[in-house]
Amino acid sequence: MRKSVTLLCFALLSSLMLLAQTRTIKGRVADEKGNPVSGASVQVRGTKTGTTTDAEGNFSIAVPTTAKSLLVSSLNYANKEFAIGNGNTLAITLKANDASLEEVVVMGYSTVRKTNLTGSVAKVAGTEIENRPNLSFDQALAGKAAGVQVSTSSGLIGAPVNIRVRGASSISSGSQPLIVMDGVPLIQGDNGQLYNPTNALADINPNDIESVEVLKDASAASIYGSRASGGVLMITTKKGKSGAPKITYNTYFGYSQPARMMNVLDGPQYTSVINTMRTNAGLTASAANGDYNGDGITDNTDWQDKVYRKGVTHDHQIGISGGSERTTYYASLGFNDFENYIIVNRQKRAAARLNLTTKVTNWFEIGIKSQFTRTTLYGLGSGTGAALSGVPFGPLTAYPNVPVYDATGAYYIGNGGNTVAQNTPNPVAVQNLNYDTRDNRRFINSVYGEISLLKGLKLKSQYNTDMQIGFTDQYWDPAVGDGQGLAGLAQTVATDSRVWSWFNTLNYNTKFGDHDLGVLAGAEYTKSYATFNYIFGLGLNDPLIRIITPANYATTGGENGIDVNNGLASYFGGVNYGYKGKYLASFNIRSDAYSGFGRTNRWGYFPSGSAAWKISQESFWKSRLITDLKLRASYGITGNSNIGNYPSLATFAPTQYANIASLNLNNPGNSNLRWEQTGQFDVGFDMVIGKGINVVIDYYKKRTKDLILDNPILATVGFPGNTITENIGSIEASGFEIALNVPVINKRDFKWNISFNGATNKTKVISTNAFGNDIFGGQSIVRPGYNMSAFYLIRWAGVNSANGMPTFLDVNGVAKQYDHSAPAANRWTRVSDGAVTTAITAADRVVLNDKTPYPKFFGGLSQSFNYKQLDLSFDLQYSLGAYTFNNTLQNLVLMTGTRNKSVEILKAWTKAGDQTDVPRLFFGENQSTLGSTRFLEKADFVRMRNIQIGYTLPKKLLEKAKIANLRVYAQVQNAFTITGYKGMDPESNANGNVNIGLGIDTFRPYLARTFTFGINLGL
Amino acid sequence: MKKNIFNSFILAGVLLASCQKEVTEIVPPDRLSSDLAFSTAQKAETSVMGAYNALQSADYLSGRALVYIDLLGNDIYDRTNFFGDLPRFNLLSNAGFAGGLWNAGYISIATANRAIAGLAANPGVVTAAKAKELTAECLFIRAVSSFYLVNFFAHPYNFTAGATHLGIPIVTENFTSNDPAANKPRSTVAQVYTAIISDLTAALADLPAIYGTAASYASKTRATKAAAAALLARVHLYKGDYANAKSVSLNVINGQYGTFALNASPAGAFGPANYQTAESIWSIPNNTTDNPNTNNALPQHYFPGGRGDLAISTNFRDIATNPYFAVDDRRRNLIISGTTSATASSFFTNKYPDIATRSDWAPILRYAEVLLTYAEASAQVATGIDADAVAKLNLVRDRARVGAPQYTIASFATKTDLINAILGERRIELAFEGHRFWDIMRVKGTVTNKFDGDGVTVLPAQAFGANKSILPIPQAEVDKSAGILVQNTGY
Repeated sequence: MRKSVTLLCFALLSSLMLLAQTRTIKGRVADEKGNPVSGASVQVRGTKTGTTTDAEGNFSIAVPTTAKSLLVSSLNYANKEFAIGNGNTLAITLKANDASLEEVVVMGYSTVRKTNLTGSVAKVAGTEIENRPNLSFDQALAGKAAGVQVSTSSGLIGAPVNIRVRGASSISSGSQPLIVMDGVPLIQGDNGQLYNPTNALADINPNDIESVEVLKDASAASIYGSRASGGVLMITTKKGKSGAPKITYNTYFGYSQPARMMNVLDGPQYTSVINTMRTNAGLTASAANGDYNGDGITDNTDWQDKVYRKGVTHDHQIGISGGSERTTYYASLGFNDFENYIIVNRQKRAAARLNLTTKVTNWFEIGIKSQFTRTTLYGLGSGTGAALSGVPFGPLTAYPNVPVYDATGAYYIGNGGNTVAQNTPNPVAVQNLNYDTRDNRRFINSVYGEISLLKGLKLKSQYNTDMQIGFTDQYWDPAVGDGQGLAGLAQTVATDSRVWSWFNTLNYNTKFGDHDLGVLAGAEYTKSYATFNYIFGLGLNDPLIRIITPANYATTGGENGIDVNNGLASYFGGVNYGYKGKYLASFNIRSDAYSGFGRTNRWGYFPSGSAAWKISQESFWKSRLITDLKLRASYGITGNSNIGNYPSLATFAPTQYANIASLNLNNPGNSNLRWEQTGQFDVGFDMVIGKGINVVIDYYKKRTKDLILDNPILATVGFPGNTITENIGSIEASGFEIALNVPVINKRDFKWNISFNGATNKTKVISTNAFGNDIFGGQSIVRPGYNMSAFYLIRWAGVNSANGMPTFLDVNGVAKQYDHSAPAANRWTRVSDGAVTTAITAADRVVLNDKTPYPKFFGGLSQSFNYKQLDLSFDLQYSLGAYTFNNTLQNLVLMTGTRNKSVEILKAWTKAGDQTDVPRLFFGENQSTLGSTRFLEKADFVRMRNIQIGYTLPKKLLEKAKIANLRVYAQVQNAFTITGYKGMDPESNANGNVNIGLGIDTFRPYLARTFTFGINLGL
Repeated sequence: MKKNIFNSFILAGVLLASCQKEVTEIVPPDRLSSDLAFSTAQKAETSVMGAYNALQSADYLSGRALVYIDLLGNDIYDRTNFFGDLPRFNLLSNAGFAGGLWNAGYISIATANRAIAGLAANPGVVTAAKAKELTAECLFIRAVSSFYLVNFFAHPYNFTAGATHLGIPIVTENFTSNDPAANKPRSTVAQVYTAIISDLTAALADLPAIYGTAASYASKTRATKAAAAALLARVHLYKGDYANAKSVSLNVINGQYGTFALNASPAGAFGPANYQTAESIWSIPNNTTDNPNTNNALPQHYFPGGRGDLAISTNFRDIATNPYFAVDDRRRNLIISGTTSATASSFFTNKYPDIATRSDWAPILRYAEVLLTYAEASAQVATGIDADAVAKLNLVRDRARVGAPQYTIASFATKTDLINAILGERRIELAFEGHRFWDIMRVKGTVTNKFDGDGVTVLPAQAFGANKSILPIPQAEVDKSAGILVQNTGY
């Protein structure tokens, strides 16, 4: 029996051998440019016989004579079926996946093919971010996506970058979008350097970014539910592609300088203005020019010139990427050194990244994406902005008629010939002697495993961490400024922040007949925690020893504390459905529990739904002009958890009454506090006209209710900071957005592409509290029925040309003028008849409904040209319709003190008939400079953000040197800004990330203009 | 297999539930739930201390409040123009100086009210006697704060007959939410004084004379019978109720509330190590780690080694304009000149010398004031020249003028001469301790010979009751009150 079996087997084998007569086919797989495609799978169609290509793209495969064709596939390339002819060698060319067709968009926990998108998402490619001398990647988004307003509030390193997706969605809760990088919710905002702002996003290496997706409407963003009402930014970092390793080296170097300057008086002008002010007021002259350093020359110092410089910047990035069929990797090392134009202000960043994914088995994939960064920020030791020793306050207001150094070469500290002292500490001295340095180490990491349970069903588990450890070292020298009174001060703050999150998702995608179905279910837990450790030393003994120890300081002390302590538990799910690829619909829901709410109001539910119809796929669609057209509509609800750690909990905190321990209320609490909800409706269409003109148009309307507001309350209530966190009122925003991409010319040798985007936004206040009360924020007001944060000011009526007096309109429109030389009771008179009248006061403020800090129309225009090896690009950003309150100028024309002043004051009225906006110089007159429309200016601007010209060396030349590509380029960042605004910058914003009180320009450092020259090298 | 799948689901469920709990159930380790603030004897007492801590605000009694009163007066000038239009009586209604005072004042009152309510709501946590004592401390704090606020934001008591002019809102209840009842109109000055006197009288009855020992830290920084009486005497004096001012201050002098005495030297109550002498009745303490910091501390403003913002004007130094300030007065030793090129030509007070740690205590109630209050009240009440008033005046004057002959009744031609001498002595003795401007105003005086920041330019005279001689109600508060809070005329 056994024998017969053996025989049978033999026979079978023989027959098989007979059947499977084979021949060997060799070949090479390459891409369209002829580069080898390694790791591509080559399979005989209809069999399991297959192989993969080697590093050179070569393969060798035995095929049965009966075989008709080979199936060749590789990641990132379109699958190709290749007929086997008679020959034994084959050259196979694979086409890269059609980018526009197959472009995928990252939407939270899954990706969607761009054509199947039902929500409103804008995508910014990494190429628009890399190689530019931005201090953080968010700055590069300005003008790049319709409806996304990105404003850098000043040129100081670390200055906050405000991002508003479709305007403000809240009154006092944060309106910054949630930023998620490779699934990791990022720590944002200020890291807590002592006297300098920092931007946590500066730790991200911009050159590692593959793309940034902005999820704008509710259907796109709602998968992040409670944190999504400000929109969501999804950052995807670069990853490797199977194939031979690619090595790139990118570098640039250059310098930066202030993009704009405000001019202040020089020595002789200053002396003349001050003394005119004094004598007009019947006072003795108080300023004199002189030689206070004994060099024989009358001192005349341009402090801006002394404090600003050409700062050197350079950047280096090495990237290596590649992979096999199963494993891909991307690794990079980056170093960036940016010296700002302000002396001592500098940021250095070194970043390393490794992104690695591997298929362990056919059904199990793991991956890790991690980044380690070290960022050192050398801040201004004496503070920034409007601080007495800050920049630009110091250089703008210091006496110009005193020297920088005295006769001995030491910093000059005195008042020179100025007898009415109002000293600004020597700006050069405070910058050089004091420091505020932060050393920050950040580790952002995600690891995941993904299991294919069944066909189309994937279980993914990802653990994310964002950790940063910072150390701030701050010092005030005893010789000058604030350090003088303290006999020297040293302070250090060690901060430790960590966010972890863990999510598990089930993704099921299937296709049956004409139906496409995708289902997502998941859970995520997020915990944020941050602590600080602060110590200080006062009364320095030996200035060369800076370590804080009782041995070297008269007094030392310190404290520990917890800055952040909150968590979020989330469950979410979604269904995507498509029918015949024409009718698309999706539904998502997320429920979040935030630790900061009371137990009963903790859970919030955020559903959204959307639908799209690809009309152009219908048989009736015959238009040749519009080749692709998709209509979209969505509605959904998002929330806002940007409300601090324990807003609902009434708490006492330990305090001290000097040596006696005390307890004080630190939060009044509000156990009724509940989720703020934004309902957003969006309708839009995506259209392709002719050969590649892409048009995306959206209209949205969103309404936020139960606004969580740090409600300003009367001092007589007696809560800390005069606020209580309450759900109050609602606001409504609406707007249009358009994005256009036009390949104007698309020839082999010459290409010209224009991208344009624009957006309108109007945000109205629907209601405030139960009493409909106004909410005030500096110069702005929140009043039901009016535009969000409309300016609320006294109306300036110019200078009376007959007598040089400042005039204003009272609340009834009656013009009143002010004469400081008159007795106190008779200073205000009516312009019409000169009769004594009541004073212009705060009661004369009016709501300027059309004048808000939010632009009415804003966006960007980018153009690129390619001619043979040359490329040229322009990035333009524009903003129209916003207003900025020029508090800087207000301070620089004050007549109550003797600090240096703006050259504007030279226009002061001197004689009857003078037409001017600057009243007669009169020392002590403080009414013309009160907060009025005199200082409210249009903030329209067009900014050339970037001009770049490049030359790519011809391939032939490079081949000999075995270089894949080499490009050299030169660029200007912030080349110029066209604006009528007279202050620092039309985007200046002194109040940080706020919604009311935006648009106040208070001594913000100018933006930097940076010139660089760079090289992109690929091996 | 089935069992394994089942078990892994159970395991996953347990894991997820514990994760959910970990991220949502967060108890702050650095704070105390308000329910617990009065739950033990120790916590209740510490919460009462919170009301003192509120008074100690940098914007209030640990520095700025005293500075403003002196800046509005004519004995110092704002050398560095740090205080802008404040000393020029030319503030705008949104001035931060006024806002800071108002907020700190009402936070102090609210903190005291909160503690009173907390003690009442948790009976038995402390003994009834202790609860009375702690409540009395709160009443004292509320009275102190109301007194400073009403004098900053309203015209003096005698501005109208019967003090019917606008004072400040009186707040005696504890608010736990944004209660519309907190939007109170301004009571009249008379009503405010009545409330202050009632609080102080109640406090005086229940407060302890000392905490531990007479010179203990707490006895000098917490409310005592003597502190309540000394303040009550001042309130009566400001009100022009000389009879009561006299009787209350006499109780302090007679030792009814403990023994107080002048130190041997006029400088004896100032500077480190001198804060707890028998001369101090009540001060706001500061220490190295808890003080008003670089821009607010008394030594930073007053001491030439600090910012040296506030220089002593010639109006104070010259005997022509300060007639009772003799050349041999030992209090001249408290005047020092600056040491840097910028300050060398100016003069400063040495009452707050602790620039190194900024720990100088703010002297609020000092025994010398009680003596002078008694002298003034007694002199006012008397029909002729009051011998007792002269005697108390001598107590203060003698230690500063060891070589000079004592005053006798014969030194004064009229009662007015005596009162002027007492007011003159008060100006010198209590200089730079937050008295000057109000001492001028309460007797319907005019601020003259006041210098601008250069120390040379003379500012316009400021008459009693002039519009801007009081501070503006902070514009933000007027706005928030929707018309309930009436702004002071002129702002």
